[in-house]
This record gives sequence, structure tokens and C-alpha cells, in this order.
Amino acid sequence: MLEFYPHIKSVHVYAVLASGSLFFLRGLLVQAGVRWPMAAGVRYLSYTIDTVLLTAALMLLTILPAAIYANGWLAAKLGLLVAYIGLGTFALRRGRTRQVRAVCYVAAVAVFVSMYFIARTHDPLGPLKLLTS
Amino acid sequence: MNSTKKLWLGLATLLTVSFSVLLWTGGEIHREAPPMPDRVVTVAGDVVFTRANIETGRQVWQSIGGQQLGSIWGHGGYVAPDWTADWLHREAIATLDLWSGREFGSRYEELRPAEQAAYRQRLTDTIRVNSWNEAERTITISADRALAIAEVSAHYDSLFSADPDSTWLREAYAMKNDTVPDAGHRAQLAAFFWWTAWAATTERPGKDISFTNNWPAESLVGNKPPTSAFMWTVFSVLFLIAGIALLGWYHAVDAARHDKPLTLPDTDPLAMVVVTPSMRATAKYFWVVIALFLAQILLGAMTAHYQVEGQEMYGFAISDILPYSLTRTWHTQLAVLWIATAWLGTGLYIAPAVSGHEPKFQRLGVNLLWVCLLIIVVGAFAGQWFAVMQKLGLDNNFWFGHQGWEYVDLGRFWQWFLFIGLGLWLTLVGRALWPALTRRDESQSIVTLLFLSTVAIGLFYGAGLMWGEHTHISMVEYWRWWVVHLWVEGFFEVFATAVIAFLFTRLGLIRISTATVAVLFATMVFMAGGVLGTLHHLYFAGTPTAVLALGASFSALEVVPLAYIGFEAYHTFKLGRAMPWMERYRWPIMFFTAVAFWNLVGAGLFGFLINPPLPLYYMQGLNLTPLHGHTALFGVYGMLGIGLMLFCMRGMKPAARWSNPLLKTSFWALNIGLAGMALMTLLPLGILQLIAAIENGYWYARSAEFMQQPLVDLLVWMRVPGDTVFSVGALALAWFVFRLWVRPQKEEVALPDNSETIGN
Repeated sequence: MLEFYPHIKSVHVYAVLASGSLFFLRGLLVQAGVRWPMAAGVRYLSYTIDTVLLTAALMLLTILPAAIYANGWLAAKLGLLVAYIGLGTFALRRGRTRQVRAVCYVAAVAVFVSMYFIARTHDPLGPLKLLTS
Repeated sequence: MNSTKKLWLGLATLLTVSFSVLLWTGGEIHREAPPMPDRVVTVAGDVVFTRANIETGRQVWQSIGGQQLGSIWGHGGYVAPDWTADWLHREAIATLDLWSGREFGSRYEELRPAEQAAYRQRLTDTIRVNSWNEAERTITISADRALAIAEVSAHYDSLFSADPDSTWLREAYAMKNDTVPDAGHRAQLAAFFWWTAWAATTERPGKDISFTNNWPAESLVGNKPPTSAFMWTVFSVLFLIAGIALLGWYHAVDAARHDKPLTLPDTDPLAMVVVTPSMRATAKYFWVVIALFLAQILLGAMTAHYQVEGQEMYGFAISDILPYSLTRTWHTQLAVLWIATAWLGTGLYIAPAVSGHEPKFQRLGVNLLWVCLLIIVVGAFAGQWFAVMQKLGLDNNFWFGHQGWEYVDLGRFWQWFLFIGLGLWLTLVGRALWPALTRRDESQSIVTLLFLSTVAIGLFYGAGLMWGEHTHISMVEYWRWWVVHLWVEGFFEVFATAVIAFLFTRLGLIRISTATVAVLFATMVFMAGGVLGTLHHLYFAGTPTAVLALGASFSALEVVPLAYIGFEAYHTFKLGRAMPWMERYRWPIMFFTAVAFWNLVGAGLFGFLINPPLPLYYMQGLNLTPLHGHTALFGVYGMLGIGLMLFCMRGMKPAARWSNPLLKTSFWALNIGLAGMALMTLLPLGILQLIAAIENGYWYARSAEFMQQPLVDLLVWMRVPGDTVFSVGALALAWFVFRLWVRPQKEEVALPDNSETIGN
């Protein structure tokens, strides 16, 4: 598997970018009152991208040594992932008022950006690390 | 004599004849089984193995999980090798290297092709000779063979210990370090593996085929498919086509008979059912179903993951506490347990509903049985953990630990407990159904058939008690398949057909007379192939050619009714839309429709793929087996279990509003996930293995060299999307059930004017 590491990582990164971009776009349009971002086709596209993303992530986890768990950056990212999913569902569907949806959307995007920087810096502080360095 | 009586008579005759032949075949298997020697000696008289070595070796193998870790004669798990084929190949290479080293000073693989061919012929000529002396109960082997045995034994000693030299191989086979910590036990384990390989290549007296009908394919020792495998494969296809034609004719004639259209009820006849205390008590059975189903999925994910990281789970050394053979044991056992629990719950729920009779202390019985089931699951699983971790000792293993027989892994004590539990279930269902059984009305036949299928489910598990600790492995396999095939594939099928038809009669959607005839006929057709079809599992388990002939012919007939399952699927689907109130049963009906679909695909197509002797000669124990296993066991019986559970819940919670999106997600995710698992991993991987087995011998298709290729790794990873979707379906179902009891939403139900119970 090790020989395929660069390919799998590329799939993971592109899937992250596709997933994040799609959420960013859908969230923006939902806030503007547009309905098609919640259409079945778009939802299934989102599920497909996320499943690819998950598969690649699990493959990377088995390839990388156990040291990947050191300093807690991965745990921080996974913790934020749960928050991102929760906020994302409220931003797109579950939020009862427009205000709730908007706040959740902004928070979800902020969490996503944090996860991105945590992954890039391999540091649980993520964007804060960038500010302090 | 009316047509119902004729069908009953036909069914009784068919079952009598089929079981007589099956029992006769059991006698033949016992008579013709490969002999168990008192001693294995060299020509110089040195003792290599004793009977005690071989028999204790089998106990050791059983205690580490037996068929759950690798396989013997092709029966068992798929990640570790088939120990018979692996031993045979290693012993053949060791012998060839010994000869070529002695005569050419080089290894066998370095010789020229003509020299290799000469050595292969020499090996074939010597290794296939049957040196069994019945009077002295000894097997005599050459000194060279004893040297080869010593070399292979040393390999297994290293593999089953914590020897660092075998670390890579243990990871590839998903074995924990120190699988067998005791060196003496490892030597005995090798004796057992050798004996299975001896039987696989030694010719039967007076015949030119081995005790295992030349299985496994191994060109080094002249193991190739026997003529009978080819012949009976061809005949089985002919029988299948003839059977399909015959049943097609019957359906054509049957379609010409028009019943008067049935007046369908305006409201749900089951809406007024009186839910008795014992019926209400079955709710906890269904909560357990959900819990066991989720646990089974989790253990399945772990088992599949072990194929990638042999001893770890994403970097955590999980095999130290929960090794592969244990996760696989629990995964396969939970499949049967949760499905059976769903059916037990259904039986207990519908019996008082049908008769309108709540016997005294019925609720107490239902609760007591539920507690017993929990004790059995926890107790049996704990025993298996202690066994596989080698903390139980061989003396206690048979009764309280791990028997190592796939699907019948429970220790004998727990098997008896389960059998008694099934007896209790049968009693509870029987006493509640009794007024309906003795009522002389047109329902009597179908109620009797439903009850008989529950009797069969209760009693046929008893076949699992027919072997002892040292019973010959061929006979253990014979009785084990009574349980796995006759019980699971036979009487579960009858119960499934009977219960679905029965529920439709209670909903007033089909006539009782029509349903009775249809169910009796379907039972006859299923049993015509099903009883003797049991033998298709036993082609290569040390059995005579008669097993191959009967198994091939009758297992082909098993597929015949499945070829027409489309009729049933369409009919079921149509009934689901017959009246507006049937919307209340939409999802149970959809799951019943899925049962029909997977019966065709999982049981019919993927089942017949591996049924005939010639394909199975190469396919046994490859990933094409779990392809059939997953799509048939979950696809048919799992879907049925869920459908029945939902049906009962509809009655238990008549006023609860069902979440359509949740059930829709669950239904489609479970079906799509199952298809993904089958088509993206199991089928392509199985086909790759098949090609490898045909071209390089069976051992290679199961070897670490083959299974650790990047392409195989990739195919294993392709399970993740399908498995993820499947898990979403299971979680949605669990959430749906949770919300039925926790803060449920109410809806108005239209009730019939004058209903009392659904039985009246």
C-alpha cells in the first residue's frame, strides 16, 4: 500500500477540496433562498464525494505509522469534523430560522478552515499556530 | 381427495423419501470416511504421529477458532490459507527440493522443465499410494516424506508461535502472535493438518481419486478434478433447465385458472388487533435484534479490516484482545442470532394475535426466554473469548469454549441451552396457537404449516448436537450442514414463505385457500431440492462419489423456484399498493420484496455459481463463497427479519406515525450497500482468485503471495463505500426503532367497524 501513498493522499486532498467547495456553495445558495442545492442529485453528489473522502482517509490511516496520533493534531481534526457535520446539517436543513442557518453556516465554514490548517500544519492549534509563528 | 389433502400427502411422501436418502448417505459417509490411524510410521518403523497427536491437534485447531481462522478441506475463513492445501503444497515442495538437492545439488524450481516434470511424476506416483493397513491401523510413509513432514511442521511451529521470522506471514493471515503458545500443542496441530492433507491426496482403495475427490487442485501431486465432477456438473445444468421448464409449465397452467376477484377490506383489518401483554413483551426481542445487528456490522468491519492490517486497527494492536478469529466468529454467529431473534419475536407476537388466546403465564414465558437468550449470547461469547485467547484449556473447550465449526461455534453446553430455549419458544408459540390449530376452518391448513415450520426450526437445530468431541470430521461436517443448510436454507425458507403468505391472508389481501395451496406447493418445490441439496456442501469433505452425484443434482433443483421468484416479488409489490391503508405496511412490504430480489440474486445466481461440483472444485473457500453468503443470508433472511420486525411493530404501535424518510434511507442504503459490498469487492476478488486457482493451484489463490498484492488490497478497500452506505441504513433503522418508543409522533388510524381480533 505504501507505494500508493501519494496517489491516495491526492485523492483525499482533492476530495476535501471538492467536499468543502460544494458545501460552501450550497450553504451560500441556501442562505440566499435558492432551493436546488438541496435537490436529490446534489445531495447524492455530496454523499459520493464524502464517501470517497472517508475511504481515502481510512486508507491513509492504515499506511501511516502510529506516530500520526502524536501531538493530537489528528484527534483535534476528527473532533472538529464532528462539529463540522453537526453545524453543516443545521446550516443546510435543520436550522429552523434563517438566522440560525446563517450562524451555523459561518461557524461550519470557520471549522472547516481550521481543519484545513490543522491538517496542513500537523498541529492541533492549526490557524492559531500560523498566527503565533 | 381435495387438492390441499393431495399436497399434504405429497409433501409427507417427499420428506420421507428425501430424509431416508439423506440418512442413508450419512451412513455411506461414515463407512467411506478417510481412516484415522492409530500410528503413522516410516518404513523403518519410526513413529511419526499417533492417533492422539492427530485428535488433540484437531482440538487445538478448534480451540483457536477452527474454521474461523483459515479452512480445512475448503470450509472456513478466507484470509488465512486453507491448511490442507497449504500443507500439501509445502510438503510437495519440501519433498521435491529434497530429491533435487540430493541428485542435482539445486532446488526444484531451479531445474529444467523436463527434470521438473520427471520429479512431479515421481512424487505423484508415490504420494498418492494408499499405505493404510486396516488390520494394524497404521499408515506407512517413506523416510523422505518424514523429512518433508518435519520441515513443514517446523514452519507451522514458527507460524503459530511468536517467532519474529513469521511475523509478516502472521500479519498476512490475520493471526495474532502466539496463536498457540504451547509448543507441544503446535506439534499436535501440525499432525492434524498433515492428516487432512494425507486424505486429500491418498487414493481411495481401488480407485484413482483421493478421499476428498482430488480436492484441492494441486498439479505437483496429480490432484485434478475427477471425471465425476465434470459429469455431474453437466447433468446438474440439465436438471436445472428441465426443472425450470417444468415449473414454467405449471405456472402457465396455473395462470389459466382465475379465482373470483377478492373484495378487499376498506380499512386495515389488523388495526383493531388486541395487543396482549405477552405480545407487548416481545418488543424487547426487537430491541435486541437492533443491538445485535449493529454489533454484527461493527465486528464485520473489524473482520474485513484485518485483511488490510493483519494485527492492527488503524495503528492500534487490537489483535491482542480481539483477534480476527474471534471477530469473525462473533460476526457470523450474530448474523444467525439476530435473524433468529427477529423470528422468535415474530412467532411469539403473531401466535396470540392469530388465535385471540393469551395463555396463562405467556408473558412470563416470553420474558424468561428473552433472559435465556441474553445469557446464551453473553455466556457463549465469553467462552469463545477465553478459548481463542488460550485461557480455557482443551478439556473445557468443547463444552464451554469454541467448537471451531463455522456457524455452530458455540460450546456444547451453550448449544444444549439454545436447543432448550428453542424448545421453550416452540412450546410458547404452540400453546398460544392451539385454539387456531384445532379450529376446523379453512385457516387450519396454513396455520398448521406455519406451526410445523416453527417446529422444524426448533427441532432441526438438534442436528448440531449429533457429534461428539472426537467424531470423525467428515461426519461432523455432515451434521453441521444439517444445521447450516437444512435449518437455515431449508426450514427458514419454508417459514419465510409461510409467514409472508399468512400475513397477507390476515390483511385480507389474498384468499386463505389460494395461499394454502401456494405455500404447500412452494414448500414441496423448496424441499424437493433443499433436503438432498445439503450434500452439495460435502463434495470434498472426505465423502464418496454418491454425495457428489446427489448433491449436484438436487442442489440444481434448489435454484428452480428461485428462477420464478419474480412472480412473487411482483405479486408482493402489487399487494403493497392494493388499498390506500396498505401504505401503513409499505416498508415491511418493501423489505419482503427485497427478500424476493436477493433470493434470486444472492441465493439463486450467486448460489448456483458455486453449487455444481466442477466450479466448486476451484471456488470452494474463495471470496465467491462470502459473495453468496452475504447476499443470501442477509439479503434473504436478514431482510425478512427486518420486514417481520417492522410488521410486528406496526401492530405494537398502531397509532405511531412512521418516519418515511428514515425507513426509505434504511431500505435503500441496506440494499445499495449490500450490492456495493458484493459487486465492488467480493465478486471481482473472487474471480481473480478463481483464475489463480485454475492456473496455479488452489493453494496459490489462498496464499499470502496472492492475497497481499496491491490489486487485492485495493479491492478490499473498495468495500468501504458499500459498507459505509450499509451502516447508514442500519443506523437509520436503529434510530427509527428508538423513536418509536422514545417521543413517538401520533397519527389517526381508521378502524374497521366490527373487528375484535385478527384471528376472528
